[in-house]
Amino acid sequence: MTSAWRQRAFAYGVAVPFAIVLAFPFVWMAVTSLKPEAQVYDPTKVWHFHPTLASYGFLFHHTEYVRWLRNSCFVGLLVVLITLAVALPAGYALARLSGRVGRSMGVGIFLTYLVPPTLLFLPLSRVIAQYLHLSDRLWALVVVYPSFTIPFAVWLLMGFFKSIPQELEDAALVDGCSRLGALVRIVFPISIPGILTVVIFTFSLAVNEFVYAITFISSSSNRTLTVGVPTDLIRGDLFNWPGIMGAILIPSIPLALVYNAFLNRFIAGFTGGAFR
Amino acid sequence: MADVNDEPGKETHGLSRRELLKKAGVGAAAAAASGAAAPFSFAGPLRFKGRWLKGDLSIIQWVHFVPAYDDWFDNTWCKQWGQRNDVQVHVEHINNTLLDTRAAAEVAAGQGHDLFMNLHPMASYEDQVINHKSIIHEIQHKVGKYGQLAQLSTYNPKTKKYFAVSDNYVPDPVIWRHDIWNGIGAAPNTWEHVRQAAPKLKAVNHPIGIGQSQELDSNMALIAFLMCFGSFIQNAHNRPALNTKRTVEAVKFMTDIYKRGEDASIFAWNPASNNNYLYSGTASMILNAISATRTPEAQHLPFADDLWIWPIPRGPHGRLGLEHVMSCYSIWKFAKNKAAAEKFLADLCIAGKQATLASQLYNFPTFPGAFPFSKIRRTAAADPHKPHGKYTVLTTIAEKYTHNIGYPGTTNAAIDEIFSKFLIPQMFAQVSQGKLSAADSVRATQKQVRQIFAKWRARGKV
Repeated sequence: MTSAWRQRAFAYGVAVPFAIVLAFPFVWMAVTSLKPEAQVYDPTKVWHFHPTLASYGFLFHHTEYVRWLRNSCFVGLLVVLITLAVALPAGYALARLSGRVGRSMGVGIFLTYLVPPTLLFLPLSRVIAQYLHLSDRLWALVVVYPSFTIPFAVWLLMGFFKSIPQELEDAALVDGCSRLGALVRIVFPISIPGILTVVIFTFSLAVNEFVYAITFISSSSNRTLTVGVPTDLIRGDLFNWPGIMGAILIPSIPLALVYNAFLNRFIAGFTGGAFR
Repeated sequence: MADVNDEPGKETHGLSRRELLKKAGVGAAAAAASGAAAPFSFAGPLRFKGRWLKGDLSIIQWVHFVPAYDDWFDNTWCKQWGQRNDVQVHVEHINNTLLDTRAAAEVAAGQGHDLFMNLHPMASYEDQVINHKSIIHEIQHKVGKYGQLAQLSTYNPKTKKYFAVSDNYVPDPVIWRHDIWNGIGAAPNTWEHVRQAAPKLKAVNHPIGIGQSQELDSNMALIAFLMCFGSFIQNAHNRPALNTKRTVEAVKFMTDIYKRGEDASIFAWNPASNNNYLYSGTASMILNAISATRTPEAQHLPFADDLWIWPIPRGPHGRLGLEHVMSCYSIWKFAKNKAAAEKFLADLCIAGKQATLASQLYNFPTFPGAFPFSKIRRTAAADPHKPHGKYTVLTTIAEKYTHNIGYPGTTNAAIDEIFSKFLIPQMFAQVSQGKLSAADSVRATQKQVRQIFAKWRARGKV
């Protein structure tokens, strides 16, 4: 057995079982979404059943599923834009311009990310309802979500910017670039993996958020996916399992594709700040 | 009022000639009396004329387990009521587990829906809601007395305030697999029967499913279980009364049932777990509303006809059950259209019969006069599902074996907090998991209960 073959066997030996374990929930979701509701509870019909698309038909024709998807995308995209607009300059400033104070501020910003929404939703309810008058409007989420996406993004980008050699910027400044020019022409293009990571993570955080969404939004037409699914597909103590699984599977597919398409850059973005 | 036999499934459904004559006589007398009183009943101005009720009315409530009820409520009742009263009614439904979060947010914001429905009386929000006394009087004027269960659940005798109006409650029967229990020659008539059957049921891979987790079903089942053993969180004067020998005995008893007849999954249950346990064909007995029998019937699960309904098993102190859930509407002080909310709530309770029928007997009216038990019993007996007449006993359970949370006292703010913090399931679980002895767990829980009572007493609410 050659050493290359051994290496490959080892790699697959580790990766394949791991991949199976990670893929299993998705397979389970797909299988359950294709089951008739009565067969979900039947232990003899775990793999042998009559597949049906009834749950998808229910989602698209009897719920506001498409609207929830649209709402989630709308909120997610706007939150990504706001987060980038704030976190990019903030991350850069804290990494390059503020020295030891910047490091402390970076830690301080990250600490705010650790305050859970379960504590914040009560005071924020008052802010949203009485001061901003955004109750039951998607804009409430657009305003609130950056409160936890920005600290995370700033922290991530700060680490990434620190890994970019200072000399590259100095060279650009010597060649006549302004600070902003160096940032736009030199730093940002090198930081694409980090920015991409922020985009994907921010979008995921915004789309997955639940507590604020259930607190600030009440009408079905304004719900996001995370609230619409448990509200309209769970009746009291009865779960519409095929519908729930189908509803979760659909957005999982494009997200998985995006993750895979940018996997290398994504890893680079995440580990960028780890090495100097 | 019919009682239940000691043997499940053998309840008599017919009437003897003597009973028939007696009931006919009472009915005729009642009809005559109401006829004679009619001119006076409608004399004088009604409190709610409805002509000044313009504008919007917003309502938030749970997603009812029976889709037909929401359909009736949203598309028939609200629409027609809105047209009659010149009010645009907006109804929003959210998952029942999220109602408390939503209520907290609305109170914090000082803004929200005109009518807020929760599945338990929100006694701890007494200061934030109006006194609903006039609404109850209005309904009583039309359909008769407010049921005692609802009265004890929504009225604070200390402050003399109705902090909610309950329109319906849901009985909490035992649902058991007759085929499986029959196979071991037993029936869940008493808790002792359950304890004896538990290991045999587990041996045939059909354990009992009573949760000991921080969720609604565990809370209801275990508080009711305590009551059957003569153990109560508070006494009739709303004073803490948990730390007794009877409580310790009850906790030991349930620990025994767990060790011999259940598995560790009951510590991680959510409100759907016992249903799913039953639907998968595993559980041999659970305590739940009739959603647990309606779903197998609707989905034609192979054992649907073997699911029998029975009141809570009898304990040393008797057969004392709780409501499974109780629909309670409250009107916030900050509600924008209080007048419309009051009238809507009154009319909804008066229409108790329509609501009960739309819910397929899931809901029972809290104003018994709106749809008397005798009539509900007849409707239940006519249910076509097998075994024929299995829903008849539900009326008896609703009428005789259903008590309020906090029985024999009232449902007050302290009880509401104890209930919402799931202290009772926690007390049981700590013993079943071997973390504490029964006496220590009861003592520790009583300490927390006392603190909660002291807090609310200091605020003048208990």
